Amino acid sequence: MNGTSAPAAVPPQPLHITPAEVISEFSHHHPSVARINNGGFGCCPSSLISFQRQIQMQWLRQPDEFFFNQIQPGMLRSRNVIKDLINTDHVDEVSIVDNASTAVSIVLQHMAWGFAEGRFHPGDATVMFHCAYGSVKKSVEAYFVRAGGSVIEVPLPFPLNSEDEIVQEFRQALEKAKQSNRRVRLAIFDHVTCMPSVVIPVKELVTICREAGVDHIFIDGAHGIGCVDVDMKQIGADFYTSNLHKWMFCPPSAAFLYCRRSSESSSLHHLVVTHEYGNGLARESTWIGTRDYSAQLVVPEVLEFVNRFEGGIDGIKRRNHDGVVEMGMMLAKAWGTHLGCPPHMCSSMVMVGLPACLGVLSDEHTWKLRTYLRDKFGVEVSIYYRPPKDGEVGPLTGYTRISYQVYNKVDDYYKFRDAINQLVHDAFTCASLPNS
Amino acid sequence: MQHEDPRNGESVHRGSKKSKLSSKFITESDIRDEFSHHHPSVARINNGSFGSCPGSVLTAQRHLQMQFLRQPDAFYFNTLRDGITASRKIIKDLINADHVDEVSLVDNATTAAAIVLQRIGRSFAEGKFQKNDTVLMLHCAFQAVKKSIQAYVTRAGGSVIEVRLPFPVNSEEEIISEFKKSIEEGKSNGRKIRLAIIDHITSMPSVVIPVKELVRICREEGIEQVFVDAAHAIGSVKVDVKEVGADFYVSNLHKWFFCPPSVAFLYCKKSASSSDLHHPVVSHEYGNGLPIESAWIGTRDYSSQLVVPAVLEFVNRFEGGIDGIMKRNHDEVVKMGKMLAESWGTNLGSPPEMSPAMIMVGLPSRMCLNSEEDAVTLRSHLRDHYDVEVPIFHQVSKDGEEGVRDKDGFITGYVRISHQVYNTLEDYEKLRDAINQLVEDGKTCKMLYKE
Repeated sequence: MNGTSAPAAVPPQPLHITPAEVISEFSHHHPSVARINNGGFGCCPSSLISFQRQIQMQWLRQPDEFFFNQIQPGMLRSRNVIKDLINTDHVDEVSIVDNASTAVSIVLQHMAWGFAEGRFHPGDATVMFHCAYGSVKKSVEAYFVRAGGSVIEVPLPFPLNSEDEIVQEFRQALEKAKQSNRRVRLAIFDHVTCMPSVVIPVKELVTICREAGVDHIFIDGAHGIGCVDVDMKQIGADFYTSNLHKWMFCPPSAAFLYCRRSSESSSLHHLVVTHEYGNGLARESTWIGTRDYSAQLVVPEVLEFVNRFEGGIDGIKRRNHDGVVEMGMMLAKAWGTHLGCPPHMCSSMVMVGLPACLGVLSDEHTWKLRTYLRDKFGVEVSIYYRPPKDGEVGPLTGYTRISYQVYNKVDDYYKFRDAINQLVHDAFTCASLPNS
Repeated sequence: MQHEDPRNGESVHRGSKKSKLSSKFITESDIRDEFSHHHPSVARINNGSFGSCPGSVLTAQRHLQMQFLRQPDAFYFNTLRDGITASRKIIKDLINADHVDEVSLVDNATTAAAIVLQRIGRSFAEGKFQKNDTVLMLHCAFQAVKKSIQAYVTRAGGSVIEVRLPFPVNSEEEIISEFKKSIEEGKSNGRKIRLAIIDHITSMPSVVIPVKELVRICREEGIEQVFVDAAHAIGSVKVDVKEVGADFYVSNLHKWFFCPPSVAFLYCKKSASSSDLHHPVVSHEYGNGLPIESAWIGTRDYSSQLVVPAVLEFVNRFEGGIDGIMKRNHDEVVKMGKMLAESWGTNLGSPPEMSPAMIMVGLPSRMCLNSEEDAVTLRSHLRDHYDVEVPIFHQVSKDGEEGVRDKDGFITGYVRISHQVYNTLEDYEKLRDAINQLVEDGKTCKMLYKE
């Protein structure tokens, strides 16, 4: 203070991404849309789009050289990044595919071979939630049922008050299999269900499955990485897939399929067969014919992006969760409704009841209302129809699924709040919407 | 033509005609701009492998990609399906198919092969086909197709007949006669041939196959279904699926039709079993027909499937449109092939009428190219030391058969040169000189391993 020598310079704190930078990274989003459906198609920041473009241009510049010298090392780098993120020891357990739907088809085709090659018997069962994602249900139909398998559906109670409700239903389904003398070859369930969206207690379900002697456990973690904790060793499943373009900022599209090392791993194959056939699924997946692999090659840069945020991906997850719960409660209060499940069972998405007077009474109503909100109010959000159960008095039949990602602002949710309040004020009902 | 003027960086108008009409066509300088993203010092004479895409189409693609990123939900609900239908309609007209629902868009020919072969495999698994029913393919079928047959057919209990085609080849008759012979042999122990897979243009070695004739023979011989793998066809030879008459026909649009990576069409002739063809990646569209299933296989970038209209605009800037491009590519590649063969004292692998926009040219026997490994090594050497990109083929000589000779010995290696609108005479001169240099220096392929 009075002329003594200056103190040694303090090393600068690592600079975190600023709010202004975040706005800039997502400036390509439609400026006037309240984009509260990150769970639908994800998002990708501009700096990653630029990286992706560089890779695309590298290919176009000299594709042969890229094919012979760049693709394999690049894919291996991406797979190693994922391996560390999901806590598994062996990079050969990590394959990169387009999306969770592809991963599901790969695993289910493997099951179909089980029937065709006599390892499984007609009637052997798969256990899955009734609200499994559409493509998963169809994949089960196309591969498992067609090959001779049967399906046991687990109803997902909704709205929910605790994990126990889910665990009970699941136990009952396994019991049903036992009673009907059906061997359960595959249990397939979400880590975070899509619609309605809740976090499933996967670790507990895996334990129950192991106790019951289920052959294979496959977790559809489409929403997993970047949204909830994804730790392969802790979860203990045989197969786990997650999209990187939903909550992990990858450009469309990239996903990983984790396959625990086993005597069977080498007989899993990608559906699109190339000269790599027989070199292991991970290697097969790195080349499925001439295509644009750039989205799968930017994974190292994706990690750099998330690490610009305070706390990295864990910090992002925590803030997204806190943000979406806060916004969910704000909406529920404004509309006089409730959340679909307790906050600790929410991820970066939350289900909020819609006012009953809107009259969401069918799946078709959900599409129409969603379109109406998009076109008339500039709000992008998913809507869910929850059929009433026998004996229920005045249940809410319409819910919305709101998402929260780093680019969202409070105004997005106010816009939605006000839109619904407007509809209520105008005595709007879904039945009044015209047929498309 | 650009080849009559030495490359000196000046823009040269296409053709010597000075008529006003020629000025509305794309100019040499426009073409250079369109492909200015290509590596400037590489003699890129391998369009056949990975194709090419002009700058204006890439711009159109970017626009679509940004549209999706801007508001993906709206894109999915309002833009995607119609955009893919529009692309399919253009292709239906290009290939002379009857119905747009015979046209599906997939990533590439490899995916199409998996679609068709997965169904064949299922027929074995479900008892519709008997063990030892057979699939017929060409010996030189693309490696991915061979592996797909192994993965889906052999694994399910089916057997395979390989048809060995002659190479070098002198006429279509040689191919037809060899094909007929193989079918006879294949059927000899009472096996039923469920599917024949025939290339329209083989990959390595590259030759145009008389598919119409071979499909007719297949029908006569009672082969149930025919799948034409025409990966190289569209934009390189005439494609008329009704004339060819196959049950399935696939071609990549990113190879010779200027689409960005990647998109291919799979044509499936309408039949009683059409509804049982499925995309292996199952989505909620399962059961709605292959074209609809293929239009949504989960969240991905579909932009390359949506730019087909922009590609059509591009090719129509050329005199004669795609037909004009095909003809000029063919004429030039034959001319360049002959130039190389003459300079090296070797041969062409097939007559001009059996070479589309690619041609096989014999390498001097003194290079002693004696294995697949030699071919790979030579290719890398040309890339790394001479900036020449060209695939190399190792010709395995049949026992007891006299191969083709040059003045020093048997010709055991071939280059497959391509010609696309961006190529110049310099590209081929670079290859010519590189090989001549290696021969002059007394280099054989084995000696290149160490370099």
